[in-house]
Formats: sequence, structure tokens, C-alpha cells
Amino acid sequence: MNLSHLSSPVTVNWGITARCNFECSHCFSRLDISPELSGEEALRVVDILAGHNVMFVNYGTGEPLLREDLFPLTEYAVSCGLKATMNSNGSLISRETAGRIRRAGFHSVGISIDSADAKTHDAFRRMQGSFDMAVGAARFLKEEGVPLSISSVICRVNHRDFPALVSMAKGLGAHTIDLHNFKCSGMGGLNRENFDLSPPEWKAFYEAAIPMRRAEKGIEIAFDDPIMSLLGEEESGKLVAGSVCGKLSLYIRPDGEITPCGFIPVPIGHILKDDLGKVWNESRLLAHLRGKAAAGKCAGCGKFSSCLGGCPARSYAVHGAYDAPDPHCWADE
Amino acid sequence: MIPKKNPEVVWRLEKGMHEMAWGKARKDEEYEDMGVITLMIGGSIHQLNLVGAEIWTRINGVNSLKKISRDIASLFGWEEKETEEAVMQFLKGIEERGWVTLQEKAGPAGPKWQGH
Repeated sequence: MNLSHLSSPVTVNWGITARCNFECSHCFSRLDISPELSGEEALRVVDILAGHNVMFVNYGTGEPLLREDLFPLTEYAVSCGLKATMNSNGSLISRETAGRIRRAGFHSVGISIDSADAKTHDAFRRMQGSFDMAVGAARFLKEEGVPLSISSVICRVNHRDFPALVSMAKGLGAHTIDLHNFKCSGMGGLNRENFDLSPPEWKAFYEAAIPMRRAEKGIEIAFDDPIMSLLGEEESGKLVAGSVCGKLSLYIRPDGEITPCGFIPVPIGHILKDDLGKVWNESRLLAHLRGKAAAGKCAGCGKFSSCLGGCPARSYAVHGAYDAPDPHCWADE
Repeated sequence: MIPKKNPEVVWRLEKGMHEMAWGKARKDEEYEDMGVITLMIGGSIHQLNLVGAEIWTRINGVNSLKKISRDIASLFGWEEKETEEAVMQFLKGIEERGWVTLQEKAGPAGPKWQGH
């Protein structure tokens, strides 16, 4: 069955704070200086998300554990029926904190590890010792029984070594390793030349990763990129064509502004000032993203109906237009 | 045969769609492609149409295949025997996907209350 209608986003990625104790080379939010919502406002956000039957709320952006009310906020979200997850650099997760995370009711926690090689990870995260902290956090979470995933940004430092990352994630007992493609937003935009892959390199990565994902039984290897349709990869569990942003998910910035995703810094409403259902159903930008027009080399491309021009965030970041061809696309390269 | 949901399946009824699909069904209009329930498991997302949703919402680890089939036959005005075969086929399909387990008997009742 194709997607016929979603009454609200399935997942809301919520930047509950932009504060971070790391200064990673690729961070999309390091340049974000917006103020964050108060504790009371954050609780209202939870009420709104639960009231709209949002299924998952995923904390990210800055380091969520720097938010002082993270645990009571999460306990409240869980009590309202939301499945709460977060991405963390792991540096603030001691054994005691891992226990607190479990008791708060987190559905799963993602720890960022970008290389199985400590030096490579530390250099990318620009933090000496960050690899050991992340691995330690993963072990504490596992020991506490918190469902664990490993989150990696695929880029120049690791695109050929990802099988080692997968092995390491399996060894840590993660249920999933999320291989995120590098996004040229924020610091990622400023450092794109150092970290982004060329279109043929992205093709080579997916040609290696797709069969590995099919064959792997011990861990779920998760990655999602509309341009994989160029390789004939049919996403059986994918309900929508093209990017999922604005179709299955939305992003809430630390100050409450809603954007289609974290990598498209264009507000379409405010979570506390505007009706979420109205934003979801009536936003002109979301309508545009859901019905993208083929432009440039996409016009006439036989894969457009399944990739819908690829990732609009990448197109916007590089070309300033959502409809422009995805800069990672290798068609006609 | 008693189906039981996999607790790892996260799901929701789509607001408004249930009523809209029933409105179409009652007018003999096409409703089969309308997503009424959205489910997520292991990073994959799926939707069930009206019939699937009516079956899914009756799966509670207690209701048997026969009970669910009778309800569905009554709801849609279908023959009981054919409906039971169709419901069984549906349940086998979602069992293969790992969304439910099919047991011969109901499992033990869970505790009524669990302290923290």
C-alpha cells in the first residue's frame, strides 16, 4: 500500500538544546545561536506532539544531556505515549547516568561513533578521548539494558572503512547502526570540501553498503538516501518516494521553530504559536517538497518518480533550490 | 489460534482516516488504498487499510482467530467462512513480517499492577 495520508509526522526530531560540549567538524547546528525553550514550554511541546499522535520524538542537535530537565521531560513524554530516543556524543554518560536514562524510559539511545579507529574518530569530533568516552557510554547503556544504536556520519574519513564500524557496533551489542550521509549544512557546509564524497564515491559506498545490509543478520544496518534508487534499490519499508523529510518527519529547532528537517533551516511555523496539524497539512514549503518538480538533469531521468530529485536539504545547501538535482547524484556523471 | 502483537511494533490510528474509510465503505466506494493505521517496526514504516486496521485493533492476545473473523464478517457483511480464511491469510502474512505471533492458546495473564 502506498502512503495515502498521515495525519501528523510519525517522527519529530527535536533540538531540545543547541548547546554542546563538542565542536565537531560537520555539525549542522554549531552556528545556531537561537535561545532554547524553557522547561515549561518544553512540556507544552510534549503535550502538542502527544495530542497529534506523533509516535517518536528524537532529541538531537546539541548534546541533549546538557539540558538540565532532560529526564523529567522524557519521563513526561513517555507517560504521554511518545517513544523517546536521543543521539548523544556519549561524553556525559556514566554508569549512573545510563541507569537514569533507563529509568526515564528511553526507547533507544544512539551514540555517535564515526570510526572504529580512535584517532580518526577523535580528530573528526575534534575532541581528544571522545572515542573512549563514546565506547564507554555504549557499554554502560548496554549493561543497563537501554536499547543501543550507533550513529555514524559517512564521509571522507570513513567511507571505505564502514565494515569495521559495523563490526564494532555489533561487538558493542547495538541493535542498529545508522549510517547517515554527510550533510553540507552548518559546519558541514563550511567544511564540505574536506569531508563530502564525490558522486562516484557515494555510488561506490552504496554499492558496497546495500549488499552488506542485505546479508547482515546480527545488526540492522540502517541508511536512507533517495538517490539509492539509481541502483534499483527498492525500499520495502519505505512509505514515501524521495526524502522522508516533511513527509514522515519534521524538525523542531531549540527555539521552537518548525522546519522540514534539521538541514533545511527554513521555518514553516512555531510549535507553540502555530497549530501543528495546520502546519503539517497546509505548509506551502511542505507541499512543495512533497510534490517536487524535476529540474536540470532530473528532467527526463527515469528514476525521478522514485527519488524525487534526491535530498532537498543537500540541493538547497549547495544550489539554493529544493528542486535542483541532488549534488550527491551520480547520474550522468 | 490466538494472535498476539509484537510489543516492538509502534502503531497509531490515523485521525480522521478511520471514519473517512468507513464512510466510503458504507457507500460502496473504494477504500482499500486508504491508510488507516500506521505501524513502525525496526525502522520500517507501513500502513494498514480499513480491513487490516479492524483486524489489528482486535489483536490483544486474548481474541481468537474465530472471534476476530466473526467480528470482521459482521462489520463488513461478509460470509464467516470466507472471512476466516482471509483473516488467517492476513495473520500469517503479518506473522512472517514479525508483527504478531500466533499461539494455539492464550498466554498467561500479565500482572494487574507492577510497582516501580
